[in-house]
Parts: sequence; structure tokens; C-alpha cells
Amino acid sequence: MAIGKTLVAGAGLSGIRSALDLAETGYKVLLIDQSDHIGGLLCQLDNQFPTSKCGYCRMLPMFDRDQSSQHCLRKGLFHKNIEILLSTQLMSVEGEPGDLKVTLKQNPSLIDPSLCTGCGECERICPVFVDDPFNEGLTKRKAVYLPSPQSFSNTYTIDYTACTRCGECEKICPTGAIKFIDQNREKFKILVVDDEKIVRDSMKEWLKEEGFSVTAADSGQKALELMDDRPFNMMLTDIKMPGMDGVELLAKAKEKNDDLCVIMMTAYAAVDSAVEAMKQGALDYLTKPFDPDVLISMTLKVYHEFEIAEARVEQVDALILAGGTEFFKPNLGKNPYGYGVLPGVVTGMEFERLISGTGPGKGKLIHPKTGKPVRKIAWFQCVGSRDVQTGAGFCSSVCCMISIKEAILAKEKFGQDLETTLFYMDMRTIGKSFDDYRLKAREENQIRFVRARIHSLDEDLKKDDGSLLARYVDMQGNIHEDDFDLVVLATGQRPAKQMTELALKNDMIINPWGFIETTPFSMIKTSRKGILSGGSLSGLKDISESVTCASAAALGACKIMHEAGKKTIDAHAIDMDETDLNGLAVLARENPKILTVLCSCGSDLTQTLDVESLKLDLNRIPENKSVEIMDKLCTDEGKKTLVDMIQKTNPNRLVLGACLPCIYKQRIKELGKESGLHSSLVETLDIISILKQYPDSQIPEMTQRIERELKILISKARFKNPVPKERLESNQNALVIGGGIAGITAALSIADCGYHVDLVEKDDTIGGNLLWMDKTVDGLDIQAYLDEKVKELEFHNQVTIHKKTKTESTGQHPGEFSTLLKKEDEPKDPGETILHGVTILATGGGQAPLEVDADDPQQKELTQKEFEMGVQDQKIDPEKLETVVMIQCSGTRDEKRNYCSRVCCIRALKNALFLKEKNPDIQVYILYRDMMSYGFYEQYYTNAKNSGVIFFQYDSADKPLTQMQEDKVLVKTRDLLLDMPVEIEADYVIHATGILPDLPKALADQYGASLDTFHFFKEADSKFRPVDSMNYRVFSCGLSLKPCTIEEAVVTAEAAAIRAIRILSHERLVSGKIVADTRTATCSMCEMCVDTCPYGARFVDSIEERIVIDPAACQGCGVCAAVCPSGSAVLEGLDMRLMLDSIDMAVS
Amino acid sequence: MGQANNKGYLEQTETIKTMIQTCIQCGTCTASCPNIEFMDITPRHMWRLLMTDHVDQLFSSKSFIMCSSCYYCTLRCPRGLELTNAMSQLKQVASKLRLKQFRRSSLFYEAFLNSVKNHGRVKEMEFMTNYFISMKNPVIPFAYASLGIKLLAKGKIRPEFSFGRKGKLTALFKKVAELEE
Repeated sequence: MAIGKTLVAGAGLSGIRSALDLAETGYKVLLIDQSDHIGGLLCQLDNQFPTSKCGYCRMLPMFDRDQSSQHCLRKGLFHKNIEILLSTQLMSVEGEPGDLKVTLKQNPSLIDPSLCTGCGECERICPVFVDDPFNEGLTKRKAVYLPSPQSFSNTYTIDYTACTRCGECEKICPTGAIKFIDQNREKFKILVVDDEKIVRDSMKEWLKEEGFSVTAADSGQKALELMDDRPFNMMLTDIKMPGMDGVELLAKAKEKNDDLCVIMMTAYAAVDSAVEAMKQGALDYLTKPFDPDVLISMTLKVYHEFEIAEARVEQVDALILAGGTEFFKPNLGKNPYGYGVLPGVVTGMEFERLISGTGPGKGKLIHPKTGKPVRKIAWFQCVGSRDVQTGAGFCSSVCCMISIKEAILAKEKFGQDLETTLFYMDMRTIGKSFDDYRLKAREENQIRFVRARIHSLDEDLKKDDGSLLARYVDMQGNIHEDDFDLVVLATGQRPAKQMTELALKNDMIINPWGFIETTPFSMIKTSRKGILSGGSLSGLKDISESVTCASAAALGACKIMHEAGKKTIDAHAIDMDETDLNGLAVLARENPKILTVLCSCGSDLTQTLDVESLKLDLNRIPENKSVEIMDKLCTDEGKKTLVDMIQKTNPNRLVLGACLPCIYKQRIKELGKESGLHSSLVETLDIISILKQYPDSQIPEMTQRIERELKILISKARFKNPVPKERLESNQNALVIGGGIAGITAALSIADCGYHVDLVEKDDTIGGNLLWMDKTVDGLDIQAYLDEKVKELEFHNQVTIHKKTKTESTGQHPGEFSTLLKKEDEPKDPGETILHGVTILATGGGQAPLEVDADDPQQKELTQKEFEMGVQDQKIDPEKLETVVMIQCSGTRDEKRNYCSRVCCIRALKNALFLKEKNPDIQVYILYRDMMSYGFYEQYYTNAKNSGVIFFQYDSADKPLTQMQEDKVLVKTRDLLLDMPVEIEADYVIHATGILPDLPKALADQYGASLDTFHFFKEADSKFRPVDSMNYRVFSCGLSLKPCTIEEAVVTAEAAAIRAIRILSHERLVSGKIVADTRTATCSMCEMCVDTCPYGARFVDSIEERIVIDPAACQGCGVCAAVCPSGSAVLEGLDMRLMLDSIDMAVS
Repeated sequence: MGQANNKGYLEQTETIKTMIQTCIQCGTCTASCPNIEFMDITPRHMWRLLMTDHVDQLFSSKSFIMCSSCYYCTLRCPRGLELTNAMSQLKQVASKLRLKQFRRSSLFYEAFLNSVKNHGRVKEMEFMTNYFISMKNPVIPFAYASLGIKLLAKGKIRPEFSFGRKGKLTALFKKVAELEE
């Protein structure tokens, strides 16, 4: 059986998540990105809320960590199961799931990465400056550049579209890594057609100078004859010619050769006909008279396409599209905020770059015009969102939170006296901790929130210091004018153009705004089987939602591969040198023989160090056999010299001082393999960074510094012994607790991939909250969907359903849980103990109960659920009602439950639309604080307005009051705009009471999971590990995780499933290199280490009376070793002697 | 909701209400309006009054008459609403219902258009005379006297009287009247 393989298109946050999930499960992944670096948008963003820090690295594998990189994902990524192709585009997809043929186009590299040393000479000499997209165009870069400032790779890249091929870099490159001559422009045949001789001749001259082969024709007829004679790649033709004109020639030439690139030439007055010609297949047009440079650059672009025309075709089983979204460009259209015109108006992304340490201001915030420090900043929400004038009838979902974060960051970085103002329409804090974050921003960080939309911006002419004047109206109708130094536009989302084109070309359905449409109740399945959408492709998402969606897409791919009968890679077949236990034991007994090698990096090292005295000092350490200076270790040639040296001198330990790319772990592994040296016995020092850190240091001083660093490493090498990696038997069954839609989906997803699942439900019916629901806001039939899923579940041979059952007690052992299940209503039931490798907590939640003071015997004040059920049971007849009032945030977003339940506004809109549809004469009033109709749900807000639903905004300090009046309810509130009291007599009042999670603390504790302040499941990291707990075998999904809609519950369940499957797919798990252990002889069983371990890796074995460790769970953090009073908790490979000796070396 | 005093405005304003139904009260129109200082109710308030059926209050203020049709609000409304059109429809309702508080401006518009209808342009003296006559208030001309003298002195108005019908715009006006039906 073949190994399953998936193509992930897009190597940003979500692409990496999908790829890693599949790779950890044991499938092969081809990860491509059209840009020149991995990491996507997050490479440009340094800080995320709520921590104002970054946690990108938390996505890295938890077990078998040595198979992948263990550093910041901005620096790069490797995993033994992932092949990464950069500057590569997905062109087309053919075939069925399990057998897809994908066509890729890769930009050829003009720089040989095996030769490039990253010396930067090419960049210094390059005469071309272009806007640096990494800094959003705020700075310039050369046409030859390093793709991202954080990357480990020091290989330069050439920007094809900007490069003029002047050849200066090729001449100066000391290693000959740049090769332009490989281009064979001679074979690119150009045909120039024009009736004017002077035009023909000069064009021929210009193009020949660039090395192309050019033929000229004076008429259309002649051109066609020439085309019969030999093939051409490109034709430049005049439009107005006697006889056959250019447009006719275009049609006839295309008949002969469909691949021919045609560029039209026309006088300014006749641009219309050129545009017409483009519709008929011409590529572009030139307006006469034109600059030769324009002609050449256009020709070079076509030639470049020709060069990469040889596409690579790959066979894969599934395809995940993770191309992300783009931001709205505010300078297009009416541009009321003067973006690109007024200095001091920036987009959110630009602001993130401005305040970034790697940005243009180097961490200082300077006004672009005056150069003075910025003191007053405003954020404008909904720029290109919720604005039909920019074609956006939707909300972009994430901008509110991004703007709050930016305001907090600005305050944190540039002082609390910075004035920050946020202008918004509805503050959409739609996640469980978001509203809390907003409150903190307002109360603690003193960020001013103003509910107003700014219509336009202008410079304050009275001041003439570049201040921007914003005019707005407050709720009472008073006009205000405020000055700001800087205005940040929270630009909305737009679909990624290339992804929309790809979707259209490959028969996938897109929504009216160009985003990829997913199938009902799914956020990952596109209309085409075998193609999945990950991340924000189907609408902008924040980090946690993108990650969740990406994981779910990985599950989709996993299912396809399983169904196609594809295998996973045998996980415990690891490298020979690490499994050869005898060899390791022998190595541990050998006397250390250390070789110290320093890379001179051109001549940098020898100029700044006294190499001879360094050698002399280091050679005094008896175990250090010799110190060698080598050159260009980062090139393949340099590496070979080092391998030869190791084989000749035969050391058993190596200390290597070089630049970052040389000491990159993957490279050390290669080195180990080639030279026979055990790679864990190589100690590395990033010597170039130290040199750069102290540029003014004198030679003796620097020599001393480097010597100390090297001595520490030599002492480490002296005492370090190779530690065999541990393997842990891991149970391959799953337990899902909760039979709501999240539990059902999680169980089905795992079972569909071939693993056995026990599903426990406390009620005697499966279905949870979906049982009382009828239709979604988009009109989907919920009962039909639930029926289908329950049937699938009941007939699945890999699923055992335990209804009316509770989990009684749990035992935890390394690699396995044991749970005692007991029937709910049979106290004498001895119960059944099941063993399982993972636990998914899908215990759900429900609607919070209604708390009204008034006596309500007639049941006129209802919750949303009670109302919907009343309609279904025909107790409430919409046609007989006159007035219905809905009160949002009734008991949520206040002191008691300070979070937004996300679904209630949409549910209210659904109910309002339902009532209006059944009875157009009914008066529906919705009383709200902020309408949370996020994403594409905004259209239902518009629909409700259009159908005549009246919305009243109310203040949280002045909540609506209700009072029974005979058979009506009197609702008292205030119209904030008109500033007058409002009284409405309603037949029914429907309260949106919000969602309460139902995850008992005792249950969470049993499995080593924990709850957050709102009693939802606490994620290991709310952004980067959104369904995991700190215990790597426990996950959560659905309402017990966070408030969510049905699709969102399904997507979290799918994400939890793949996170579980990546453990279940291994019979044995492999630990990392550094793992904790306990010296049982000295251990007093105080259990402090068990309580302290953040990963739940330590257990008490009560039978053997000792502490046991799950080596796969242990992340080698060393907290246990620090807390242990008797020194019995240790980290293998980092023992006391080694640590103390290193410290001695550092301070001596 | 108290709508007892809406005196048959509601029927007239129903179409205007549907024009502004999707308003989210962001206030863009109000902050954009160059005439806002002459209005006692802001445009946003007007839409809110319309939406909540407080039309009596809307017509008790003359704010919408202050709209000079600069189209800023229409240009900038995120909901793409035709607010300037809504304003002019409000003016039409006021004129159609011959509401007392709008008599002056209705008559002003009427006299202006009559002059245009007759001559294809405004004949200032005729327009002023007709307006004063229709106001049926002998004091009014004196109130304008000083302004009139200033305008005369600068040659902005010409003291010529021509009451004859010379214009050819009758057909156009007829068509407009038909369309407005």
C-alpha cells in the first residue's frame, strides 16, 4: 500500500497547521507557497492578543519533536514528512479524491542555494530599488534580497519582476552562485509587425540588444506567412495597418498557435480597440510612443512566464487550499480617508510594521511628515467592511479585536500617555474572552472608544503641522472635531485573487463576494470533492479560527486518504544511530575526544579575533584535541571539507562555531549522517551574531568573549552522553464524552479514519442541543442533518455508543487512560472499564436560564429556545401576534457572565425574519447593545432591516425593563438617538440569555484538563492550540470549548479529531531528546513534581509506589528538576555535573 | 409606541421609510452635512424618527428644508442609501400636504419654478413679486428690502417685469408632473 500524500497550497499559519497535523499523523505533505518565505502574514505581525506576545512556535509537534524543527516558525520549518516548495503556484487540479493530478509552476532560482553564503555583496551592488512588501511598502529594498529578516536561511532571492538583468550581482558574487547566463534568450522568438519601418527597426534593435531573436514583418499577411514558416513565442503588433489590421491578425494568429503571447501597439486615441483586443486574447497593450524600458520590462515578464512554463505535475490524494485572504486597498474607489495622499494615514498592517522592531522605524513611532514622535492616534473601523459603497455587504470579523490590540500595543510600547481613540459602529467582541479584553483596554489602558463613523479625513489647515482633522457626531447629535497625528484604517477582507481565479478555473463554487463557498454545515468542504478549504479562504478568521479550520481541513484530507486505502508512515522506524542502544552505550564509555571548528566566514573571524591565542587556550583543555579554522561551511563544498576533517581526525564530539544557517539543526543532522558523528554530540555557537552584537570591540576583548563561549560548549561536550530516545506504547482507542453535534462529529471523524471510539452520553438520546432546533439562519434543515449524522454514528462499526452513561472515575498511565463507565440510573451497575489513548470532552452547554424579577404565569417572557420550541409545538402562532420584542445580552456581557455568546444576535435575526415571513404585519423590535452579525451574517442584519424589523440600541447601564400588563408585557427602554423613553406593549418578549458551558470541573480535573474563568474548557493556547489542553491527550470541541454556531461546533470537533488521530495513528510514540526522569531510590514521593509539571507528564504509580513519566508528554522544560527537594527529578542528558562545569567555565 | 399624532403623514412617508430602512445610524450623513448648524434635528435623527414612526416630530421641524442637495451624505453612506433623494421627497411631502409650517418655503419653491416654467430661467423681479403676493403678507417685502437694494446695486437682479408666457418648458413640466403622480 502506498503512503498517503496531500498537497497544501499556502504555507501561512493555516497551511503550516494543516501540514503539521498530517505530517504528525504520518502522511506525506507537499507544502507550497507562491511567496519566497513560509509563515505568511504572521511573519509581519510580532504581537497577538490577548498576551501581546507571539506563540507561533506552540504549533510545533509535542512528541517525536526531533523529526521537525524546534524554533520559531518565522525562521523556517522542516519536518521529515513535509516537502516545502516556495515561489510555487498551483495551476490546476484534475481527478477524483484519492487520485488528484495537480500542476505546479515554480519560479526557477537564479541563485544556487548550495553556493550562496549570504555575504550580501549582490544586494550592496544592485542598482534597483523597489517597495519592500515585507514592510508594506514603507521601506525600499533591492531587486536581490533576503526574503524575511527572521529566516534562518541566508540564501538571497532575485525579484524577477523588478530585476533589470544588469548582471552586476553576477559579476560581484564571490562564490559564483548567481547565474544569468543559463538563460537562453535566443530560443525565445519574437515577431514584430508594423507598417512603419522606423518602428520595426528600432524595436528589433532594442529587443536584440536584450538577447532575443527578433523577426519583423511589415503587414499582417506577411506575419502569417512567417508564422507558417517557423513558430514564434511572442508577437508585438500594431493595430492600425493597411490591409489586415492588428485585431484581425490576432484572431488569425491565435488560430494557428493558441499559446502565442500577443501584445498590441496602439496610438493613445485608439486604446479602446486595444482593450477590445485584450478581450479577444491579447495579453497586454503598449501605447505609442513608448519608452524602450516599458517594452523591455513587458517582454521580460512574458519571457519569464515562458521560462517557467515547464510545470511540475504531482500525484496527490487530497488538496488543501490555504491561500488566505487579502486586505481591502483603501486607495481604490472614493478613498474618503485620503490613504496614500495624506501623510499619517496608514492601514492596520502598516501600523504593525511601523511599530515592529524589524520595521522601518526600528521600534520608534515617528510622524511621516513632521518626523516628530506621534502622540495621538485614531483607529477607524469598517474601512472596506459593512460598506456597500466598497462592495462589502459583510463584516470582516477580526478588525475590531486587531484594532484594540494595536491600541494596547501602542500604549505598551510608547507610553501610557499616548492618546488612543477607536471609532467604531458595533464593537464586535465575538469570542469568549474578547469582551473582557475590550473592558481591560478601556479601563486599564484608557483607550477611548467612540461609537461613530468618520466620513472623511483632511489635514487640519489651521495647524499646518500635518495633523489630521476628523469630524464626527455623537449619539446626542453634537458635532465634534478632533485632531490626530496618525490614523490607522482597519481595512476589511477581500478574497485572495489568485485563489478565486483558481476556484473558478477548477469548477468550485464561490460566494457573491468571491470567497470560496463551503458545503452546508461544513467550513472546510468545497463544492469539489477532494479539495478542502483551510484557514481564512472562505472568509476572514482570527488566528484561533484559522488554526481550527486548518486542522479540520487536515482531517478532511486524512479521511480521503484513509478511504483511498493509503497508509501512514511507520512512526517508530527512526534513524539507526538513535536506535542502536549498544552503540550508544559504547559511545558513552569512550573518553571524550573533542574537535572544535570555527568558520572564518570570509575573513570576518580572523580579522576580529586573535586566532592563535584562542587555539592555545582552548587546547589546554585535555579533552579538546584540536581547534580548526575553516571557511564557507554554509556551502556544500565547505560542508564536505568538514566531513573529511571529521573522518580523518575521528573525534567523538564536535564544537562548531559558525553562522546561523550552518548550525541549523537539520544541517547538523545531515553532517552527522555523512560523517558518522552522533548528531546529539555536536554543540553549536552562533559566532557571527556575537561578532555583530559588539561591532566596536577590540581584538583581545572579542577573543576573550568567544573563548568563554567556546569553553562552555567544550565543557558541555565533555560531559554529555548520548541519551537513547524513549518509546511509549500508546493506546489507539478514543473516548468522546458528550453526544451533541460536536461529540457526534468528533466520534465519526475518528472512526472514519479507522480508529475505535467509545461515545458516552448522559441522556438516552443522541443529538444534544440540535434536537430542539429547526432551521439555521440560512434556512438549512437541522433535523435532517442530525438524523443523517446519528444514523451514520449508530451503524458505524468502529463506534460504541454508551447512552445514559456517566464517567465514574479515571486512571491515568503513560500512554493510556482507563475510565470507568456506569449507567446513569442503575446504582448497582458494576460498570465497565474502557482503556483509551485520547479523550475528547464534548460535554456541550446550553442556554442560560432566564432571570426575570416579574411574576410571569402566562409565560410571556421567554428565552430564545423556549420561543422556538413554542412555535414548533404550535403553542405560539406567529400569525396571531402583533408585537414581539427581543432583548439581546439579557444576562450576558455583564458582571455575571462577562463574555459574548456569539450566537444570540444571529438567532434573534433568524427569529425576526421568521416572524416577518409568517406574518408581515407583525412588529418586531430588537433591543441590542452591539449587533454581533459577524462575517457574512451581516446580510441577515440587512435583511431584517429591510423586512421592517426595528432595532433599538440600549446602554448596558440602563437595561430595558419589563412589566406584566394583563396579557401583554410592557417593555420600557430609551431611544438613545432620540434621547426619549420608549414603551412597547409586546405579546412576547424573547430574551437572549447567552450560553452556559456544561463542563464539570471534576470531569475536567479527572483528565488533567482545566477550566477558564467563564467555566469553559481552557485551551493550551487560545490562539495557536485552540482545541488542545495542556495534557496532550485531551481535547475539547463544541459548546464546552466556546460559544459557537453549528458549523463552528462541527469544525472544532473535526479539529479535535485530527489532533487526536495524530496520536492514535502511532502504536508507539517517540519522545524528544531531553526527557525528565526520576531517581526512584532517592525519591520521597512528595509528588511536588507531579503537581508542578505543566504538561501532565508525571504520574503516581500507586502499585509500584513510584513516580512514572510519560516521555511523549514531557517537553524537557526542567520545572520538575528545579522543584524536587531531593534532586531525584532529573533531565536525562542535562545532569548536575554538566551544568555545574558549564557554569564554572562561564564565570572563571 | 405613540403614533397617534401622525395625521396621515405616515401614508405619505411610507416610501421614504423603505428608502432608509437599512440605516444603521452610524452618523456619517450628519457629520458630513455642511448645513448641520442650521438644523435642529440632525439627518440621523430624521431617519430614526421616520423609522420609529415619529413622523409628526419630523414635520414639526424644518430641518430637512435646510438640505442643499450637496450629496455628501449619499456619497458617503456605508449602506448606499439615497439620502439626498429622501430629503427631497420629504420636502415634496411637506409641500403636497400644504403643511402650514412649510408654507413659506413651499411657496418660495413654487414661485421659483413658475418663473422657470414661463421663461426658461428665473426672472428675479417676477419671482419675487409672485412670492410676495402668494405669501399674502404685506410686511414681508419690507423684510427683504435691504437685501433687495444690495442685490440691485450689484446688478444681481434686474428690475424688469415681463408677465407674458414666453417659455417652452411647459411640456417638460407636464412630463415631470406626470412622473410624480
